[in-house]
Amino acid sequence: MNHWEYDDNKIEAKELTITVSSMIIGVGILTLPRVLAGTTSSSDGWISILMAGAFAVTIAVLLGKFAGLYAGGTFFEYVRSLVTKPVAIVITGIMCVYFMLFLAYEIRAIANISKTYLFDRTPAEYIGLMFLLIVGYAASGTRIGLLRLNTMFFPIVLVVTFLLLFFSNSIVNWADLKPFFVTDVKRLMVGAKDSVFSMLGFEVILFYTAMMKRPKEAPLAAAVGVVIPVVLYVLIYLICIGTFTPWALQEIGYPAIELAKEVKIPGEFFERTESIFFTIWIMTIFNTASMALDIAVHLAHSIVRKGKRIHFVAAICPVAYLICMLPKNVIEFALLGEVISYMGFLTIGMTLCLYGVAAVKGMIK
Amino acid sequence: MLNRMKQAGARSRIQRAAGREPNSEPLPLRTDMKSNLDCMLAITGSPDDLIVRHFTIGAQHLPVALMFIDSLVDKDLVQSQVMKPLLQHYENAKNDLYHQAVQLVVEEVLTSVDVEILETQEEVLNTILGGDTVLFLSGSRQAIAIGSAGWKSRGIEEPLTESIIRGSREGFVEDLRTNISLIRRRIRNPELRIMTFKVGRRAKKTIVLIYVEGVANRGIVHEAIRRIESLDIDDIEGSGTIEQWLSDSFMSPFPLIANTERPDKVTGALLQGRLSVMVDGDPFALVLPITFSSNLQSPEDFYQNWLLATLTRILRLLAAAIASFLPALYIALLEFHHGLIPSKLAFSIAGAREGVPFPAVIEAFIMETTLELLREAGIRLPKPIGQTIGIVGGLVIGEAAVAAGIVSPIMVIVVAVTAIASFSFPSYSFAIALRILRFTMMLAASVFGLYGIILGYIMINIHFVNLKSFGIPYSTPFAPLYLDDWKDVILRAPVSFLKNRPRMLQPQDKKRLNKK
Repeated sequence: MNHWEYDDNKIEAKELTITVSSMIIGVGILTLPRVLAGTTSSSDGWISILMAGAFAVTIAVLLGKFAGLYAGGTFFEYVRSLVTKPVAIVITGIMCVYFMLFLAYEIRAIANISKTYLFDRTPAEYIGLMFLLIVGYAASGTRIGLLRLNTMFFPIVLVVTFLLLFFSNSIVNWADLKPFFVTDVKRLMVGAKDSVFSMLGFEVILFYTAMMKRPKEAPLAAAVGVVIPVVLYVLIYLICIGTFTPWALQEIGYPAIELAKEVKIPGEFFERTESIFFTIWIMTIFNTASMALDIAVHLAHSIVRKGKRIHFVAAICPVAYLICMLPKNVIEFALLGEVISYMGFLTIGMTLCLYGVAAVKGMIK
Repeated sequence: MLNRMKQAGARSRIQRAAGREPNSEPLPLRTDMKSNLDCMLAITGSPDDLIVRHFTIGAQHLPVALMFIDSLVDKDLVQSQVMKPLLQHYENAKNDLYHQAVQLVVEEVLTSVDVEILETQEEVLNTILGGDTVLFLSGSRQAIAIGSAGWKSRGIEEPLTESIIRGSREGFVEDLRTNISLIRRRIRNPELRIMTFKVGRRAKKTIVLIYVEGVANRGIVHEAIRRIESLDIDDIEGSGTIEQWLSDSFMSPFPLIANTERPDKVTGALLQGRLSVMVDGDPFALVLPITFSSNLQSPEDFYQNWLLATLTRILRLLAAAIASFLPALYIALLEFHHGLIPSKLAFSIAGAREGVPFPAVIEAFIMETTLELLREAGIRLPKPIGQTIGIVGGLVIGEAAVAAGIVSPIMVIVVAVTAIASFSFPSYSFAIALRILRFTMMLAASVFGLYGIILGYIMINIHFVNLKSFGIPYSTPFAPLYLDDWKDVILRAPVSFLKNRPRMLQPQDKKRLNKK
């Protein structure tokens, strides 16, 4: 009999699904409706989101299969067995930097949005620093603890989002969704590219599959984990279009949060629901940020193989903080987001190449 | 209780006086009875209540001596079970007592059930200090211990700290035997295991570990045994000390081991697959392992209709949220986010705060601190005066503070609701943990408003997921997720639905109902 079912620190498929979903849902969706309103006409953005979703699910399944190859080991060790050591270090290093930038982006985003919706006087630097400290505290705990935090926060965020969508039913003008299918394919593709940007993050499968009890379930779990945000994105997008009309939507900074502003909660205890909504949304942004930091730490640790986790947390956090404070304005910040997105594509491309190498070497049964 | 503590204190003094290292090798008894007795008297400093009764037994007039502590033994018992048989039996006996005297006395003479043969000074001392009587026989290297402990102990009463409306009225007392009997009477199961440990270097105190074999997870049982055996203290003060020694982490305000005065609570826990630890001389039993949700449960939940019980549990969860976050929320809304308050309410709050010289932060800290002071004072004062404190504190200070314009009436409402909420938990140690959290959250809210509160909330959760109680994650069954256990966490499903023991405890016997 197995006395310690907990002590093996393993996760199940449902937990991987939640992990992938929590990683994807972050800052991206808050701005996505605006971006799509700019690139596609009428309410056709949903096609873009679905196209992006199909792409993301495919990649996620492939990454899940790749990750299943080194269950129990680390990414770096496996890559080293595929290619030479310097190449492995470069690949792992790029991934590490990517996740560090991801963390920096999330911190800056939270600082910016908090300044817009919660504070007017507190400087963004302090807001970001506090958030980073909490993320650092989480990352210096156990890795399994981080995944359990996802399990605790994700349902809350999901319930609140669905409540928001449900209550906004009354303010949506469904006629605004018409006409359908008026955008040409090229613009749909641009929209799809933008949507994929806000779905990045599912690369976490590469690093958390190793902690699964049954790694074979990873591809399916990852696919479901991507589908949940896709459905959520489509719903939020359509309701935003219906509430604000496509023309007004282009001018709204964070449509998903503004949606909360418009919603009338029965009882009307709280006047400005958007502050409450964003406050709860911080939980999922926190999940994204803490996992990004955790993976950056994990990758750096697997290359150096010395020291403790907490040393790497202490090393990476200040760097991420400096990077996140670099952009001087919203435009530069958007540029940082774009750089990160392209890096995301790069990491996915590299991983798929490695999958090819593994196939050539005959390491896939 | 007091007796026992004095006794333990006396013992450590004795050892220092006798110049013995508490850790030295046990010294065997000698053949010479007089030197044995002298030795005991020297070590204990021959106190007045240490009685030595010399007499002779048998036809050969074998000199023997009884030794016991007057204040700890039941003298009737010593007379009827020890003296009487010893003196009567040998009036006409012709047996040769000089050979195997100890054997004969034990097997043929003594009528007491509780008899043991001792060979070292250490054992003799422990026996005497434990309230038993020791019989020395001349010319023997052994002594006989006869159970005779009997002192005044408190009767079984209703527990003061955990009163419930429906259910058993019995509570634990200071006497370990009575406590064990309270458990045994409830679980008449041959698989009930009661393991005894003697812990303490200067004074041995009895600790028992109770669990149900075949139900409790063996891993947890082994871990508990390992931790109890690793205890190396010179004297145990009570279950509170043991709780801190056995606990997984001392860096947490949350209780990782529950304590209770209620036998029915312990019984329920044992049957779920948990363990219990009891210390002699302490009416609080420890229950382990526990999770966050255990703090919100009361044995009463199982005695009532499930609808009522579920409602009560949701109410307690709400109370936990209020007790930890309400004052912080008040500060955040008033200092940072006026916009969030509905405009009509905002006007009335502003009107009420007219003339209050302090910001909401200071106001909240003043009132909360006052409340904590009142609560502390209420506990220390004798019962009849305790009520006065309630009236003086609640009415007079509240009214006067508002009238004097130091705090606003809204603040008084917030503080009062928080206080009521924090009194509604079945577990006192959990309420204390929430007190600490409340002040931390107030601090966070006063610096960062709502943002501070949510960061604080996230931080508490990070703390939760890293906490363990005897290997069981504190955050189960929420994370790791065990949906089946939810039936008995926030909800309390109808009894016929609770077919399984909590899976989070990994019991050996998973089923509770409908076994096939």
